[in-house]
Amino acid sequence: MEPLSWADILGRIFVQFTPVWIALVVVFAASIWFKRNLGLYGKLFDSTIGMIGFALVMFWVFTGIFGAMDMVVTHDALNQISVMKNKAPGTPVMGAGEDVYPYYLLGGDNLARDVFSRMVKGAWVVVQIAPLATLFAFMVGITLGLPAGFYGGRLDTLLSFLANLILAFPVILLFYLLVTPEIIATGIPNYMATCLFVFPLIFVAILLNSRYHTQPALRTPLLIGVLGVLGWLYLSLISEVGSKVQVIPGFLDLFDVPGGILVVFVSVVFVNSPTVFRIVRGLTMDIKTRDYVAAAQTRGEGPWYIMLWEILPNARGPLIVDFCLRIGYTTILLGTLGFFGLGLPPESPDWGTTINDGRRLLSIYLHPAIVPALSLLSLVLGLNLLADGLREESLKD
Amino acid sequence: MKQVGCTPYARETQEMKDIYDGPILEIDVLSISFFTRLREIPAVMDFSVKVMPGEAVGLVGESGCGKSTVALGVMQDLGKNGRITGGTIKFKGRDLGQMSVEELRKIRGSEIAMIYQEPMASLNPAMKIGKQLMEVPMIHQGASEKEAYDRALQVVTDVKLPDPKRILDAYPHQLSGGQQQRIVIAMALMSEPALLILDEPTTALDVTVEASIVDLVKDLGRKYGTSMLFISHNLGLVLETCDRLCVMYSGEAVERGSIADVFDEMQHPYTQALFRSIPLPGADKNSRPLVAIPGNFPLPHERPPGCNFGPRCDYFEAGRCDQGTIRMRPVKGNDRHETRCLRFEEIDWNAPLAAAITKDKGMIGDVVLKMEDLKKYYEVSANALFGKSGETKVVKANETLSFEARESETLAIVGESGCGKSTFAKVLMGLETATAGQILLDNRNIESTPIERRDTKTIADVQMVFQNPFDTLNPSMTVGRQIIRALEIFGIGKTEADRRERMLQLLDLVKLPRAFADRMPRQLSGGQKQRVGIARAFAGDARIVVADEPVSALDVSVQAAVTDLLMEIQREKKTTLLFISHDLSIVRYLSDRVMVMYLGHVVELGTTDQVFSPPYHPYTEALLSAVPIADTRVKKKHIVLEGDIPSAMNPPPGCPFQTRCRWKSQVPGKLCETEVPPVRRMADGHQIKCHLSDAKFAEMEPVIEIAAE
Ligand SMILES: Nc1ncnc2c1ncn2[C@@H]1O[C@H](COP(=O)(O)OP(=O)(O)OP(=O)(O)O)[C@@H](O)[C@H]1O
Ligand code: SF4
Ligand code: SF4
Ligand SMILES: [Mg+2]
Repeated sequence: MEPLSWADILGRIFVQFTPVWIALVVVFAASIWFKRNLGLYGKLFDSTIGMIGFALVMFWVFTGIFGAMDMVVTHDALNQISVMKNKAPGTPVMGAGEDVYPYYLLGGDNLARDVFSRMVKGAWVVVQIAPLATLFAFMVGITLGLPAGFYGGRLDTLLSFLANLILAFPVILLFYLLVTPEIIATGIPNYMATCLFVFPLIFVAILLNSRYHTQPALRTPLLIGVLGVLGWLYLSLISEVGSKVQVIPGFLDLFDVPGGILVVFVSVVFVNSPTVFRIVRGLTMDIKTRDYVAAAQTRGEGPWYIMLWEILPNARGPLIVDFCLRIGYTTILLGTLGFFGLGLPPESPDWGTTINDGRRLLSIYLHPAIVPALSLLSLVLGLNLLADGLREESLKD
Repeated sequence: MKQVGCTPYARETQEMKDIYDGPILEIDVLSISFFTRLREIPAVMDFSVKVMPGEAVGLVGESGCGKSTVALGVMQDLGKNGRITGGTIKFKGRDLGQMSVEELRKIRGSEIAMIYQEPMASLNPAMKIGKQLMEVPMIHQGASEKEAYDRALQVVTDVKLPDPKRILDAYPHQLSGGQQQRIVIAMALMSEPALLILDEPTTALDVTVEASIVDLVKDLGRKYGTSMLFISHNLGLVLETCDRLCVMYSGEAVERGSIADVFDEMQHPYTQALFRSIPLPGADKNSRPLVAIPGNFPLPHERPPGCNFGPRCDYFEAGRCDQGTIRMRPVKGNDRHETRCLRFEEIDWNAPLAAAITKDKGMIGDVVLKMEDLKKYYEVSANALFGKSGETKVVKANETLSFEARESETLAIVGESGCGKSTFAKVLMGLETATAGQILLDNRNIESTPIERRDTKTIADVQMVFQNPFDTLNPSMTVGRQIIRALEIFGIGKTEADRRERMLQLLDLVKLPRAFADRMPRQLSGGQKQRVGIARAFAGDARIVVADEPVSALDVSVQAAVTDLLMEIQREKKTTLLFISHDLSIVRYLSDRVMVMYLGHVVELGTTDQVFSPPYHPYTEALLSAVPIADTRVKKKHIVLEGDIPSAMNPPPGCPFQTRCRWKSQVPGKLCETEVPPVRRMADGHQIKCHLSDAKFAEMEPVIEIAAE
């Protein structure tokens, strides 16, 4: 069989992405149709920049989802076909069976795996981890930023000082420390995870309690239910059989998160939450001077109700924009971590790790590194454009 | 004073300016639209006005009616999405729309000047005042540095700023709001413009400062012969400053004419309704209540066919008023008096107001709230970060406050910014605790119980209505939810359904449709939001309601309705209302007793009649004179206070008012400067804090007199 020409390669890639295109068209058609009823999300469709950004982001989200359902990929991301080692894009798969896709569309890497399929599978890892990790960083930043801005004074001075301290800490050094075997043996990463992941629990508990404390009959069962489920998830998350933190017996442990991912989460939270903290603190200081906050105080609301129900919802605009930007940073951070061989396992198809793998033979074989690099670039670009669009549209009326 | 215009460059421009003697500004059937993504918003339609040399023309109307758009149109500064869609603006006979960017810039800098509401918007915070002023002639007239400096010194003296040399060397933030506004006026005058546009120049200032600025603007207009376009929502202010006036409603001029014609022989139902809705002397909440204009201002894209005022007009005639376009028509017999009403000749303008139902005055009951020698001091440290070590200063926000408030009574608390009104409200609400003295609520001491330790009943009993309607409701929660939340907190209603029912009843109470329960605050107008704020305050059947300037941020036509609503609820629920305000007209209209505060001191306290007639405290006298009254029959004594309110951080020794008091010289010795005056009982329940002798008090004349009709 002849190798494919570039036009053929692009044509075939386009066909592989068919489910993604369909999904994109459906989402856009529906959104544009109903854009007047969709609030800020709808307004996004008035901004070209925002729409391009949204399209790029959704492209990778759908790629991730369909990839995870084994739809877009052409080969197994881990499967090696030894003859295909470092082959150029469009090379036919020699001696393959009937049911195997006949080409490596974007070539093979130095372990003879299909670059295209790895890129698609990598999207799933990125799309899963980056927003979740960012969400954790936001919860930590919000839970600390609200009281700092609301109370001010000593508490604010202390927390701001801590935030600055962390921001001044060399991040790469921190990552290396986190994955040093000696440090892992002391259990520090696990303890840090234990601390950081408790924030969402505290957050939800205070949120519900401040809202419903006037109706104990509703509040108590609600809290028990929600906290029970969350607590179980929390314990499953942090407890790992055989590690330093093993708080619940194995049979109750719902899932084990690989230590690497835990490290990723810890670092993302560590790097991002001080900045989120500062944004939330600033917004809180501004919003707390509003009359509706004074009205809540004069009817005797507790401070946490005011922070979580009166202030936070009205700070959402800037926070949503920042969230988009920050997912972008996190994606790059994932890449950086992977690049240093930290975080995710070495065979993981995520883009950072793949770029790192491809780097060694970069001068001879460009494609194994350039494909994930371009993917990362386009996703981050999309997130930035999306954030820009949102910011621009939220200012208009 | 030295006549300006004697320097060579100035003379030259003066000559150039003198050649033309037609109208300075001539706006002809101007239409301006803003283009948003949804639709075109016609902000100004078919608008014409003429400003003759030396004339001051007022532009009045409610917020959103297009006043500022007209001003920006004249400046040709409508932003990205604004466009003039029809008509012309001629400045000295030349069409501004046809001019090149270069010509426009020249005219804007030297011949038309604009003064905005917020002085800091026109000042560069990083540049010394002197430098900013000198730039004007140096750029526009190529004056030398020396000439420019002399000129700057001259105008700063002209705007009556003390110590002009020092002011020229100061940065904007080192000046008070009133002084900043004077500098902005000085800057506008630097180039001796032919036209001065003032867009609500005093709204951000206190009444007494406003009065002195208005005085200044009038003087300068006369002295320099500048024409003025004075934009304001305050009819009283326009009466004091302008020769002619143009009333706008929903993008159109509805009536235009000389002040006397429009004020005394109005020919448009909207103008009439406007006058009926403001508290002029003689209005009374029980026997002659204000008449609110029904309904709401139409949004620019939802204007009715025919007459814009139709849906709210008492004289509306179906089939006529709702058809076609209505043009301005001249009123016969008056000088350039025009009106945009089809029926103005048929309407009997002198018909007396349909007799309003006289309401019974609520019986004033027992004392519910009593303050005794309440003091609130704040410690402010000079250095915020290392608070302990630095020296601390004491700000005396409230100094020996004593009064009682009874059931069903309205007690007005009057004073300008920094006088301690808000501090007092905070202490009463329990957001702060008192430094000394006591607050007795039903004979229970609450002065040192912070709100967290107050029981639900106490909290629900003392509630507050806030000033800013755009801030008073949480923008992310539905109206109903916010009221229900208050009910939950006050422990009212057993089930969610109970509370919802009660919430709907509260909406009925404040006369809002029940459908509003599910609306978001942004879908409500200012007045409607303020009603929700009132409903929320009454959720727990409050017995004492502190209303902190509840209507000052609302449009005139809505103010009356909200005020009336408060009065009606008060009558029904026997509420004690503590009405904080700086607007003496409204205070006179609705309060039973008045307390005047200055720099934390109660300087006068008495029934409304006692406070509004002599003898006055010298500050009350100045305050009364400063309030603009939109009635040509009113003769006011002209008292202008010098200077600004001193900072509470550095109060003057002796009498707090001594730095601005015009009676000070009447007190023998240096008493005013050394000793805090004692509280003097003038009559039953009337007290004044002043050193003046009884004889001097007896000499005082009334500030406001209504000429006999
Ligand atoms: N928390 C505080 N710390 C220090 N000083 C304060 C504090 N709160 C108020 N003050 C000072 O107390 C004085 C009275 O303030 P207050 O806010 O009561 O005035 P106000 O009459 O309500 O003014 P405005 O009409 O502008 O709201 C002011 O000089 C203010 O600077
Ligand atoms: S035209 Fe008709 S509706 Fe309009 S102001 Fe005159 S009477 Fe009222
Ligand atoms: S005590 Fe003196 S300074 Fe104070 S108000 Fe009376 S006369 Fe004026
Ligand atoms: Mg205040």
